[in-house]
Amino acid sequence: MKKKALSLLLSTAMVASLAACGNETTPATTDTQTADNTTATEAPATEAPATTDAETPAAAEDFTLETLNIVVDGTLTATVENGQDAFKEQWEAAVSEKLGHQITLNINQLDHSDYSGTVSRLLTTGQPGDPDYPDALIMSATMLRQYQTTGLLWDMADAYANAEFQSRVTLPSVNENMKDNQGHLYGFAPTYGNGCVTYVKKSWLDAAGMSIDDIKTFDDYYAMLKAFHEKESGTYGVIAAGYGKLDEAPYINYMPEFWQGAYPSFYQKDGVWVDGFQEQATIDALARLAQGYADGVIDPDTEEAGTKQAREKFFSNDQSTSEGVFTYWAGTWLRTLTTNMEKQEVDNDLGDDRLVQLAPIQEIKDTWGGYINREAPVWVITDDQDGSNAREQAIFDALLETMLDGDKVQTLWTYGAEDVHWSTKAESFTTNADDPEKKKDYEYADGEFHLKQAPNDPNSVWKKNHLDPVLVIAPLTNGFVDNDELVQAGNKFFTENCVDAPAAASCDTLTENEATLVELKTTLMNQAVTGEITPEEAIAQYQAEVGDLAQQIVDELNAQ
Amino acid sequence: MSKKQNAVTTSTGAPINKKPLSTRIKNNLGYYLMFLPVLVFVIIIYYWPMLGVRYAFYEYKLRNINWVGLKNFQTMFAKKEFWTAFSNTLQISITKLLITTFASVLVSVFLNEMHNMFAKKTLQTIIYLPHFMSWAVVAAIFQLFLSKSSTGFVNETLKSWGVLSTSIDFLHTKAMWRPIFYMINIWKETGWGTVIFLATLSGINPELYEAADIDGASRLQKIWYVTVPALMNTVIIVLILNLAKVLNLFESVFVLYNNRVFDVSDVISTYIYRQTFLTAIPDYGYTTAVGLFKSLVGCVLVLVCNWASKKIRGRGII
Amino acid sequence: MAQAKQATMHVQAKKPKIHVFDVVNYIVFVIVALIVLIPIWKVLVDSFNSVGVYQFRFWPEDFTFNGYLTIFTTVRLYRPFLNSVITTVLGTLLGLVLSTLGGYVLTQQDMPGRNFLSFFLLFTMIFSGGMIPEYLVMKQLHLVDTIWILVIKHGMNVYNLVLMKNFFEGIPGSLFEAAKIDGCTPMGIFFKIVLPLSKAALASIGLMYAVTVWNDYSTVQIYITNPDRVNFQYKLRVMIMDGDTPTTAYKVSQNTLYYAAIVCAILPFMIAYPFLQQYFVQGVNVGAVKE
Repeated sequence: MKKKALSLLLSTAMVASLAACGNETTPATTDTQTADNTTATEAPATEAPATTDAETPAAAEDFTLETLNIVVDGTLTATVENGQDAFKEQWEAAVSEKLGHQITLNINQLDHSDYSGTVSRLLTTGQPGDPDYPDALIMSATMLRQYQTTGLLWDMADAYANAEFQSRVTLPSVNENMKDNQGHLYGFAPTYGNGCVTYVKKSWLDAAGMSIDDIKTFDDYYAMLKAFHEKESGTYGVIAAGYGKLDEAPYINYMPEFWQGAYPSFYQKDGVWVDGFQEQATIDALARLAQGYADGVIDPDTEEAGTKQAREKFFSNDQSTSEGVFTYWAGTWLRTLTTNMEKQEVDNDLGDDRLVQLAPIQEIKDTWGGYINREAPVWVITDDQDGSNAREQAIFDALLETMLDGDKVQTLWTYGAEDVHWSTKAESFTTNADDPEKKKDYEYADGEFHLKQAPNDPNSVWKKNHLDPVLVIAPLTNGFVDNDELVQAGNKFFTENCVDAPAAASCDTLTENEATLVELKTTLMNQAVTGEITPEEAIAQYQAEVGDLAQQIVDELNAQ
Repeated sequence: MSKKQNAVTTSTGAPINKKPLSTRIKNNLGYYLMFLPVLVFVIIIYYWPMLGVRYAFYEYKLRNINWVGLKNFQTMFAKKEFWTAFSNTLQISITKLLITTFASVLVSVFLNEMHNMFAKKTLQTIIYLPHFMSWAVVAAIFQLFLSKSSTGFVNETLKSWGVLSTSIDFLHTKAMWRPIFYMINIWKETGWGTVIFLATLSGINPELYEAADIDGASRLQKIWYVTVPALMNTVIIVLILNLAKVLNLFESVFVLYNNRVFDVSDVISTYIYRQTFLTAIPDYGYTTAVGLFKSLVGCVLVLVCNWASKKIRGRGII
Repeated sequence: MAQAKQATMHVQAKKPKIHVFDVVNYIVFVIVALIVLIPIWKVLVDSFNSVGVYQFRFWPEDFTFNGYLTIFTTVRLYRPFLNSVITTVLGTLLGLVLSTLGGYVLTQQDMPGRNFLSFFLLFTMIFSGGMIPEYLVMKQLHLVDTIWILVIKHGMNVYNLVLMKNFFEGIPGSLFEAAKIDGCTPMGIFFKIVLPLSKAALASIGLMYAVTVWNDYSTVQIYITNPDRVNFQYKLRVMIMDGDTPTTAYKVSQNTLYYAAIVCAILPFMIAYPFLQQYFVQGVNVGAVKE
């Protein structure tokens, strides 16, 4: 017994001594960080360079960015299996030449479905200067709002204003709108946001004896879905990635006809912030969705489907369990969906007319005015909070300045690597060579810009890389265009029928509770749609559980 | 079991050197050196993180760390989600423990009655198998089987038999989730659970059965009056051992739950995980506090179970 | 009395009578075996079947290897598999080294501080820092987002160390005394006497480490973000949960690919299991059921 007590004592002492060592080192560093952070966040950005004037110019000249760590999501379509190495190599060569020194690009492409959670982990537990700390990364508009007040992101307003690409920018408003009310620019959007339009399968319309031009109101739309549901025993009217995508603004874009004027989150109504989830419009929308679910016009897989599952089911080879309607991204995606239907041998007789685009129904026109153009995703640069802008400016120059150079590097970001994803050399190739029905020949003369076969799939033609050429804010100057009529038609259709999304809300309490709110709202929405509870009960439960919190957030937003 | 204990007592019973301490240390220098790598790993992997529990008293958001005292614990005890997770952990863990132990005992008892050695061995080989599959694999299998798609084994089979008229989304239905979870656990762990009981059963004195034979007992009577009582002690030990770990429930739930069934499936560890890694800007201080609470309750449970184990079988579990 | 008993046993053993109980017992166990085997067999068959069917089939309708070909030609799938192999081998080796060293030293009765060291190890089974503190330490050690995290995290398992110690305690003490008299160093005794006598224990414990590392999913979920460094269990899960299937040159249905991936995730142990079953079972010491 004595021995036990002794060993207990000893081990406690050991832990305590360890703790003591730990305390000497770790909190000391964290304290300085905290101090740094407060100065960085409290001092207005314009003052920061002034106070450190003495040392910055020298530092700025001295700073050489040897490696650039970027964190990207799936929008960099040149993935590892799709020629990322070639992209990286050519980027390094081109940028090294521009900067006059060698630079290495490290791409961390997250395949987590929870991109924002992973990013927060990288930023919370890492330090600038760590070998794997991101120098720049992609953020959604919502994430940008959450992070821009934290002091972790660099205000690139000056760098943006002085950028060389300014002379070529055709859509200046995109980034002007990104600025906060003090004129700070924490995220840079190289393209505008784009949005979703409703696609309808032409063959299904024909089979139902309907015409797209006759679908003008929600009742028309609903009748169409019903007809599609009755087409075969396993078919449905419409599918989407969730009845509403409540974790990603603008939330309602995959089911706009059902949501109509509702906006299930905080937004500004006539200049005043309100919680849209508690509004009658949301109850009505949930009632419409519940009706649609009960009538079988909405594919029940919608609830669990991610975007990939939803679209794969839509263009699936097995059309007897598919849907007639799918609301998805405009422009390039019209081409992608059509190509995929072709690959799956769906409606081969219709060619590029497989899908028709539905103009916004009257209820959408009366409320929003059109399909919603979301706030663009952005590139952000991390701030090392050392008072000097040298590192951050160097990152801007290496990454964002070159990204819109109108030439070599922009082509890399737009179309991918030369002779891997695209080429100007004379070439001819055939896709689906062993299938006479789908076989297609391509032939290009020397000097003619064209996209090649996709690196991981010789049966399809490569489309684009990270930047969408039709959405970019400063077009390419080298004349490389992929003349795809379908993409252009889709894009034109969207720009004619869209309105800007409401600005995302951001305040501390919201950021803190965002996850809880999204979780609760999603659960309630799913329960209401599947008929477990009524829409009124869903909203009542929401109010009972987080009504006070929502009010606090609204008050906080209105006080800003 | 008894063999091992014998071994322990013989070696502990060996006369201990009573030389002076310094000589003994010197004599054992080689052993200390050999232990060094172990010590280094233990300190790095287990003791160093223990220092981190201090963050339970801080607010730790992004790179801002501020002392907040007991605020995190107040927040935690005021949160409904936390209490849901806590009570779910206990309910799911204990029910699972009782059900799988019962199933294992049942299978062992009847396996013990199987006298054809080849059949017995084959069966053992088969029923141990699922234990070696990871939870990720088991979840993958059952998610595919239980899915509502046209290739969903369970739904489509039940429909073809006329048991169901429409597919059920088993893992997304609150009323179904726990029963399914228990069934999957039974499938995965029952076989392996029998190992310990079969070991006990092989140690039963054959005289007991013979005596019962002489008394004219039937097979079932022998099971009831000889086999089952002989197992009770082991059953209690198994329950105690596992009771100490009830809060550790994580991976099995994590791979099978989803936001539709949080109410009935969220456990403490999954709650911590979500708050830490799936929140836009998490407060690591708060989640450390929840983790610390879990560790402390777990600690108490281990000590209680250790005490109970000592009472019952004369040696502790640690 | 003893003679009488032997006689009864003799009679019982010779009795060729088929008991109702035995018949029922066999039927019950055939059902139990089927419950276990049907899911596994279905997975296996469907992984070779190019058409996705819900029914249970004894044999694939339309045999194909494309599921497996896809896995072993797609970098995003075979790299995780390689990662799994590497980490399992290294993790098992590290685990064996540490638990044999530690277990052996802790059997030294006359070593001062032995009890303290035991307690120092056992305390870690009672109290732990928790998810976030552990993450932060691994971050400081630059192990986050590397495959080594799997090796390090599982390389030191106190429970296995104690099992190893129990095995060593079964070795007769007289052997050590004799070796010591012959002038063997601690290391010498360890290599010349302890290890050769513990082959079965090494096999059992080694298998326990291997299973743990190979099957680990949550460590990857928490610590690894770079898709090049995940293990196969994680990749399997992501693929099925997120419907994240790669596009490849092989024509393969989603179902076939999923089932092929499941088979790959259990394959190593399925192959080893029938031969090594005794070692798997030995590893379970009485009084310890692993979660």
